[in-house]
Amino acid sequence: MNEKFALIIEDEEDLATIYSEALKAGGFQTEIIYDGAIAQQRLTEVCPDVVVLDLNLPHVDGNQLLNQIRADPRLEKTRVLVTTADAGMAEMLDQEADLILLKPTSFIQLRTMAERMGMSEE
Amino acid sequence: MKIKLISRLLQVPSTDPEDARRRKLLNIVLAGITSLTLVMSISIVGYSVVNPNWDASKFYLGILGVLAGFTLVFLVNRYISGWLASFIFLVILVTLFSVIDEPRQVVEGRTVFFFTIPILLAGVIIRPWASFVAASICSVIITFIAITQLEDYAYGAPPIPTIGGFFLFALVAWLSARSLENALLDLRILNIGLEDRVRERTFELQQANEQLTLAYEKLQELDRLKSRFLSVVSHELRTPLSAIQGFTEMLQAEVYGPLSQKQRGALQRVLANDERLLTLVNDLLDQARMEAGQLSLTLGPFTLKDLVDDMESTMRVLVESKKLYLKVHISPTVPATLEGDRKRLYQILINLINNALKFTQRGGISVHFYRLDEEYWAIDVADTGPGIAQEIQTSIFEPFRQADSSATREHTGFGLGLSIVQQLTTLMGGSVSVISEVGFGSTFTVKIPIVPPKNNANRQRSGGNA
Repeated sequence: MNEKFALIIEDEEDLATIYSEALKAGGFQTEIIYDGAIAQQRLTEVCPDVVVLDLNLPHVDGNQLLNQIRADPRLEKTRVLVTTADAGMAEMLDQEADLILLKPTSFIQLRTMAERMGMSEE
Repeated sequence: MKIKLISRLLQVPSTDPEDARRRKLLNIVLAGITSLTLVMSISIVGYSVVNPNWDASKFYLGILGVLAGFTLVFLVNRYISGWLASFIFLVILVTLFSVIDEPRQVVEGRTVFFFTIPILLAGVIIRPWASFVAASICSVIITFIAITQLEDYAYGAPPIPTIGGFFLFALVAWLSARSLENALLDLRILNIGLEDRVRERTFELQQANEQLTLAYEKLQELDRLKSRFLSVVSHELRTPLSAIQGFTEMLQAEVYGPLSQKQRGALQRVLANDERLLTLVNDLLDQARMEAGQLSLTLGPFTLKDLVDDMESTMRVLVESKKLYLKVHISPTVPATLEGDRKRLYQILINLINNALKFTQRGGISVHFYRLDEEYWAIDVADTGPGIAQEIQTSIFEPFRQADSSATREHTGFGLGLSIVQQLTTLMGGSVSVISEVGFGSTFTVKIPIVPPKNNANRQRSGGNA
């Protein structure tokens, strides 16, 4: 399977759809998870190229998931795009995340980014 | 250290200020006379060394007796309140003076004036009237000495001139002690009143302080709530707005199929309005964060030309829809690449132009970028709007304020734009000012340091130029 895989972890259904569509347009195969706890489980099973991660999630928050990804050597090459509306939070996570997307995240912006990422890794 | 010890020895434990004053006075007198006695004993020792034949034992005995008496007085004075110690002291003095010299000298000679000492002291260390008592006792004593020990006093008359002198001294002592006590009493009454007043005022002040603290805490709590409320509301508003934007962009990108020209136009308007709403919500959130002191800058290099291009592409449609012009001029004196928070500078620029746009009906807006001096570069945003009256030129930078409050209905927005501009420029180490005259438009000038100050800022990671 040549297609890149992106895991979208976002509890807002509409936003998740937008991210998914943008990444699809950028050549990614996507999967959406709406719940932090489920994401925690799923992250042990798959090895996504990109994770789009919301910080405010039910049950397990994004911060914890970010730490989990960073601690897992299997996910070493996984790029994490953190989406948040809180600029202060964004500054705090500056070191851990590969990219911070400050909400509102534009479809066009994310699509361009996805396209670039798809190309750069080939 | 020594002085402290002495003053502690002189103190007496008494809660009655009158009693304490008298007893302390007695201690001082006691100390004085004891020192005098010691000096005298030294001279007696000296004299007996020079004249070995002279028998000094009587004097030594006397001095020891006196010192023992004084010690007793001191102890009594320390532990028993009232005038008992003073009385014993005076008795010792009078006794001493009665035997100190030949009877003739005591009655009418060199030692008679010694008796004025207990008479004067009695007034101050016991009571004013005690001077008369002392004078009477002294009179009785010298009369007794005269009658019993002086042969030529056989006719039994008391020594009238001496007694008269004693009573004259007693009168003077009584007068001075009495006026002293009265003055002290007046002072004390005055003091008590003063203390009461001070207590009262202190209490009032304390109450006011407590109320202020309470009010302050309440205000702080309110402020926290407000900030929290604003940030929650802003977040909740931003999520659906974000979704609207995303779906509209997807439609525009024809993810869901091809669009007609009219549909495209409609979507453009949806986006423009979404953008406007988003700006308002962002302003609210920024305001809340700035008030909470949570806003910091992210510094990095950027090109002014890019910033201006972005700004023009955003504002062009709005400016043209009002049939105004937008002139931009970048002076070559400004460095092409600048260091700063590009996003926040952009926000400043957009806010200023939006503000100008809101109030300008004819003419247009000129934006001028130039180098102000060695340290600063500046942006002028000039409009041909109605201008701002002198008296409100400072208040327009306050949050939720618009130059004409009745204009709120006519002009959209929260009135946060200029406040945010001011707070952001301050954060950047710069400032914003306005020059305006009613009828002749306004010019807002933002000046920003070329080298941004280090505080309030995070350096952007290299390559993280998202």
